Amino acid sequence: MDQLLIMKTTHKSFLSAFILSAAALGAASSANAQSGDIAKGTALFATHCSECHSMKEGKDKKGPSLFNTFGAKAGQRAGFNYSDAMRAGQLTWNAETLSNYIANPKKVVPGGKMKYDGLESAAERADLIAFLAVKK
Amino acid sequence: MFFLKKIKLTAATLLKLTALSATLCATQSFAMPSFARQTGMDCSGCHIGAFGPQLTPAGVLFKLNGYTDSDGAAGKNPLSAMVVASFSKTKANQTPAPDNLKENNNFKIDQASIFYAGKITDNIGAFVQVTHNGVDHSTSLDELDVRYARTLELGGKDVIAGVSVNNNPGVQDPFNTLPVWSFPFTSSPAGFGTGPASTLINDGLGVAGRVIGTSAYALFDKSIYAELGTYKSMSPRGQYLLGLGEDQQRLGGNTYWRLAWMKDQKSQAFHVGLFGWKASVEPDRTVSAPKDNYRDLGIDASYQFLGTREHVATVNFSHVKESKDEGATGLNSTLKETRINASYHYNQTWGGTVGLFSTRGSDPTVATNGAILQADWTPWGKESASAPSPFGSANVRLGAQYWIYNKFAGDTTTAKDHNTLYLFAWTSF
Repeated sequence: MDQLLIMKTTHKSFLSAFILSAAALGAASSANAQSGDIAKGTALFATHCSECHSMKEGKDKKGPSLFNTFGAKAGQRAGFNYSDAMRAGQLTWNAETLSNYIANPKKVVPGGKMKYDGLESAAERADLIAFLAVKK
Repeated sequence: MFFLKKIKLTAATLLKLTALSATLCATQSFAMPSFARQTGMDCSGCHIGAFGPQLTPAGVLFKLNGYTDSDGAAGKNPLSAMVVASFSKTKANQTPAPDNLKENNNFKIDQASIFYAGKITDNIGAFVQVTHNGVDHSTSLDELDVRYARTLELGGKDVIAGVSVNNNPGVQDPFNTLPVWSFPFTSSPAGFGTGPASTLINDGLGVAGRVIGTSAYALFDKSIYAELGTYKSMSPRGQYLLGLGEDQQRLGGNTYWRLAWMKDQKSQAFHVGLFGWKASVEPDRTVSAPKDNYRDLGIDASYQFLGTREHVATVNFSHVKESKDEGATGLNSTLKETRINASYHYNQTWGGTVGLFSTRGSDPTVATNGAILQADWTPWGKESASAPSPFGSANVRLGAQYWIYNKFAGDTTTAKDHNTLYLFAWTSF
């Protein structure tokens, strides 16, 4: 009985800890997304992304529309022909995954279609992600 | 009285100018709606001012990738068309009037073209233009550029490697500094161009379209570009069948080459380069005679401020020096062409360009220099504004262009009589 109780308690504690960790991670991601400057992100999008991506819902170019990207699963939106690598990547776009991907797309999704070389500045990536996060 | 003033032209000069006008009229090519459909991108993605042919860095890569980039969707229509209509007014009347034109105040449909412009396979694409010349009412194969390209990896860096089969030396070039793609991108069929003489690479012998050539190219790490190729004249019969009429000139051995270094920093881009074409030419293939030898060597550079695409400014520069050894006479001559063009576009809609040109050489009667001013309006071709459905990929440019001559064919006293106003409407669909 005691052993079972301990196991149940441990399981509950682990579950609680996992939920708390996930919530904390989500809050951190959200905080990271919010830490950027949206106005600067708007300009960065125009300079770095707008030739191949639109922020209009459903308007795909060489790359997919980035409307409502933040929080979405990568490569899953119907209507755009994603690379097999992006589909198989099992990524969910949050501040961390977006930052890693924008920094070096080929490293995060080897075999992906995007020909962008990457945005080196972490601060600029945060600005861009802040802009993406509010476009929903 | 002012407009009754006549320009006195010799028959030879008139012939050269007529040929030059026809050439200018036959080399207008620009943003392809079928490319926009294929990629899902707006004209502004690949073109400065949302209208071709001046390429952004994205446009350079699209071209070097063999016109094959796409949004991945199948079934896109690769056909496009364009029409250019214009009004031309020269400062003084031209007497006698050029062929198929009035002495002045000419309204014309300059040209109508249809294109195959798009990918054929994942690695092969084509840009093929057939043009009806609205001035002389001829129809012919205009520009041809069929490419194979693929991306390789070398030392951890991407290398775009490709082959172009084309019919006009320079048409395959990705920068807007070589003569084929440099400003002005359209000009008056009644105008005088940059003077009575041009270098070989600037189609001074009228070989554009009458040759077929192959060049191999590579772009290393999106920065170092190298290309090497050669051309062969088509047979007079072949030229006739393509609607070009027969020309008895024939290229001998020749080498076309190009080196450039480019950098795309997203908010700005630039390139510097060298190019050349060394060729021997038989003036008349029906007569056995020594060949003329041409050595064209050019240097070029460009800068683009792209920012957030609200304010876009560009500068393009080129200088070509030609040395010619005439086989029959043993005479040596030189010809130099310098061009610098600066443009500004606001909101990819309102544009202004100032161009300076100078042609000079060992023959003082070819010296021509002056300026070109252009203002234009391009309402569509960007995400914020496109043509009404179902013509969403169509575009139009309305423009006013004015050529000012300080010296024409070595003469400064009557140079300004050649000043030309050109109002044009240029549409694509």
